[in-house]
Amino acid sequence: MAITMNVNGVEHSLDVDDNTPLLWVLRDHLGLSGTKFGCGRGLCGACTVQIDGSPTRSCLTTVAAASGRMISTIESLVEQQPDLVDAWVEENVAQCGYCQSGQLMSAAALLATNAAPTDEDIDSAMAGNICRCGTYGRIRKAIHRTAEGRQ
Amino acid sequence: MNTPQLRNLSRRNFLVSSSALVVGSYAYTTGFNPAFANTTRTLSPSVYVAVGSDGIVTVTCHRSEMGQGIKTAVAQVVCDELEADWEQVVVAQAEGDAKYGDQNTDGSRSIKNFFVPLRNAGAAAREMLIQAAAESWGVAASECEAHDHAVHHKASSRSASFGELADAASVLDVPETPTLKSRENWNHIGKSRVHVDAKDVATGNATYGADVTLPNMAVAIMVHAPVLGSSPIDVKVPESAKNDLRFIGVETINATPGPIGFNPVGSVAVIAEDTYTGIKIADELEISWSDSPNQSFDSEVFQEKLREAVEQPGQVWHAVGDANSMLDGAEETIEAVYETPFLSHAPMEPPSAIAKVVEDSVEVLAPVQDPQTTRNTIVGAQSFALENVKVTPTLLGGAFGRKSKPDFVLEAVELSKRLKRPVRVQWRRENDLQYDYFHAPSVQRYEASLGENGMPIAWRQRTAFPSIMSTVAAPNMVEPANWELDMGFTNTPYRCDNQSIEAAGLKAGVRIGWLRSVCNIFHAFGANVFIDELAEQAGMDPIDYRLAMWDGMDVIQGALPSEPGHEFKIERLRNVLQKVRVNSGWDQKIADGRALGVAVHHSFLSYVATVLEVDASDPNYRVTNAHVVLDCGTYVNADTCVAQMEGAVVFGLSGAQRAKLTFKDGAIQQNNFDGYLIARMPDGPSISVELVDSDHLPAGVGEPGVPPVAPALSNAIYRAGGGRRRSLPLV
Repeated sequence: MAITMNVNGVEHSLDVDDNTPLLWVLRDHLGLSGTKFGCGRGLCGACTVQIDGSPTRSCLTTVAAASGRMISTIESLVEQQPDLVDAWVEENVAQCGYCQSGQLMSAAALLATNAAPTDEDIDSAMAGNICRCGTYGRIRKAIHRTAEGRQ
Repeated sequence: MNTPQLRNLSRRNFLVSSSALVVGSYAYTTGFNPAFANTTRTLSPSVYVAVGSDGIVTVTCHRSEMGQGIKTAVAQVVCDELEADWEQVVVAQAEGDAKYGDQNTDGSRSIKNFFVPLRNAGAAAREMLIQAAAESWGVAASECEAHDHAVHHKASSRSASFGELADAASVLDVPETPTLKSRENWNHIGKSRVHVDAKDVATGNATYGADVTLPNMAVAIMVHAPVLGSSPIDVKVPESAKNDLRFIGVETINATPGPIGFNPVGSVAVIAEDTYTGIKIADELEISWSDSPNQSFDSEVFQEKLREAVEQPGQVWHAVGDANSMLDGAEETIEAVYETPFLSHAPMEPPSAIAKVVEDSVEVLAPVQDPQTTRNTIVGAQSFALENVKVTPTLLGGAFGRKSKPDFVLEAVELSKRLKRPVRVQWRRENDLQYDYFHAPSVQRYEASLGENGMPIAWRQRTAFPSIMSTVAAPNMVEPANWELDMGFTNTPYRCDNQSIEAAGLKAGVRIGWLRSVCNIFHAFGANVFIDELAEQAGMDPIDYRLAMWDGMDVIQGALPSEPGHEFKIERLRNVLQKVRVNSGWDQKIADGRALGVAVHHSFLSYVATVLEVDASDPNYRVTNAHVVLDCGTYVNADTCVAQMEGAVVFGLSGAQRAKLTFKDGAIQQNNFDGYLIARMPDGPSISVELVDSDHLPAGVGEPGVPPVAPALSNAIYRAGGGRRRSLPLV
């Protein structure tokens, strides 16, 4: 059965198993490899995308559940929130970078609903995104920097 | 003019397109410094740098990028000597080839080993460009100078850009001993630069192993044997799979007999056209596995054996005076046993590898720390000639030592050979934790007696752990190796006139490997907590006590000779400790409900002191602040050094606070991040880092920040009233 969904403003019609996680549809079928596979169980946040604006673990979300929804991935962030991308570069946040797509998508969702997050807000919103390189301090700084730039 | 081909390709295209496999067809000269050969008209004074007639400088990074910022640092070093404009530099990733020298990206030694060769490459190119300009102007080269991506003749106010000069420069002889810039003229080395891949990472355009797609590529999802040494006997594929057009088949791989090394373990590979089809079917397989001698392995029993080992005399590595009879005859001794568990690297990117076998050759794209070892291992496992094995590292989504071991690459090569099509092997987190090369568990026993002044007069320390050599070299190499012991044990800075340093090894039933800072993790833990215990016994401040122990000491000698210029100097250890004392406000009154703990350690030729502040009111003793001082000698990218210390604190906290792996009946008992607990955002403290301004030789940066973290936390918890905690994890 064909499934339709809107990814980064583009409508797609796909013929895949309803139970296929959105993660693998993005990566294998749509060629959007910016969204990463880390744990497959919603424990690490590397696969975070936004569905209708909410940060969502694409490894646990079936394509059927995403059907008809608006999906944003890291590839569209530079258009949606270019200042957040810039802050990530200016703070030199990334080390290996593998988790950062998910970190950025969680941060973007936080800033969309909280214009001036405190450290505690950030800790709470970002606790689901593991960074093994340990860039947490810089992620906090980059989020604050973006928020301050928007004041 | 052979313009660098990489310029018009984004890094992503460069790896993803089929032309990406062109990395090595670029016309590099063949010699390795100092044997510069001039076989191309693109100015290529060594394998590391090329200047095109368009002015683009291509720096080739032959070390793997896993977050330590080496691509950026290599470019900084070359550009500094070259006097190149940072905006006109492209960094290419080298494939595995001995012409680059060593490519084994671990041991925190990329800059240490290649600082001078990279400077020579940049300086040689600069001198050639100057020579070309001088000849075209009919002036002496000594009257010309290079800066801002051009050569200038001040007397006649003439300038020529590097691009304009590249063609003429490329036919000149390459100077073998170019003049290097003096330190005060450095304009990139020692400065902070944003990582060259930062924008690609932040836009989802950076290419890691699993991001590579080749035409007609199949995906292999691995189901590994529950116990090391088992092989699949029988596999039942679910009926539903047989009608699935995207399912290709299953392949079995038997455990390799003999030494474990980097060989694949027993597995069943599910081959499919896409990842999810493979995962779905892998989860429905019914597999029976052969017996293995490791199926009785139990980590609790193993830990008990390590405890027993340190109660007996071990192999003596250092003995002075008469520690044993003094301790046995002493009225009072202080004894303590310290324990650490199995840990996993758990890089955020699970292992993955792409192999394309065509007849008797193979091309590999994979996140590997050492493409040369990967090539050699493939040659050892298959019948390919070395020149027919091409390995190009992608970006590594974290590695920490795991991706030095190319077992997952061998799986991809074997499967591509069987299937006669390109294959991407994709491990899941469960595979990654199950078949890591684990960080060794350890037990250490310390015993000392103190003189009237509170300082030790007799001292015995024993360590027991499974040696990495028993996994990667030969099963009978059970005793800890000298290089493992020189990671904080035989080269301990805590010396005594009557001292015995002993070690013992035991063979584990799982694979053991090196994890970021390796044996330093457990040796720094035991030593630094024991020193705090002695200081308390002596009624002294822990920092004062360390300084007193070092009074009059100069150089520490371990089991292995020091590298020239890299002697372990107590003066430098003392310096970082004194600096962290000031930076952390150690001697000030600290806020109510907070406590500080300290540790200091020398590893990878660098010196790090760390103070952690904990919240005493939190039952988990949350770390609120961290202060780190690093002396790594001359450094290249200041901000990278700071970032590595920040990351090391968090990495160290993962191991110190909650991470622990256990095995029962040969099988791991944790299989994902709900069982293996990694530090998360709320665990990340505020971290301040001071880099010691130093003109010593460059030393390690990626690893030495980790060892002081766990003991500093234990010492802080004690001072917060949480009791003496001698076993990791601590909370």
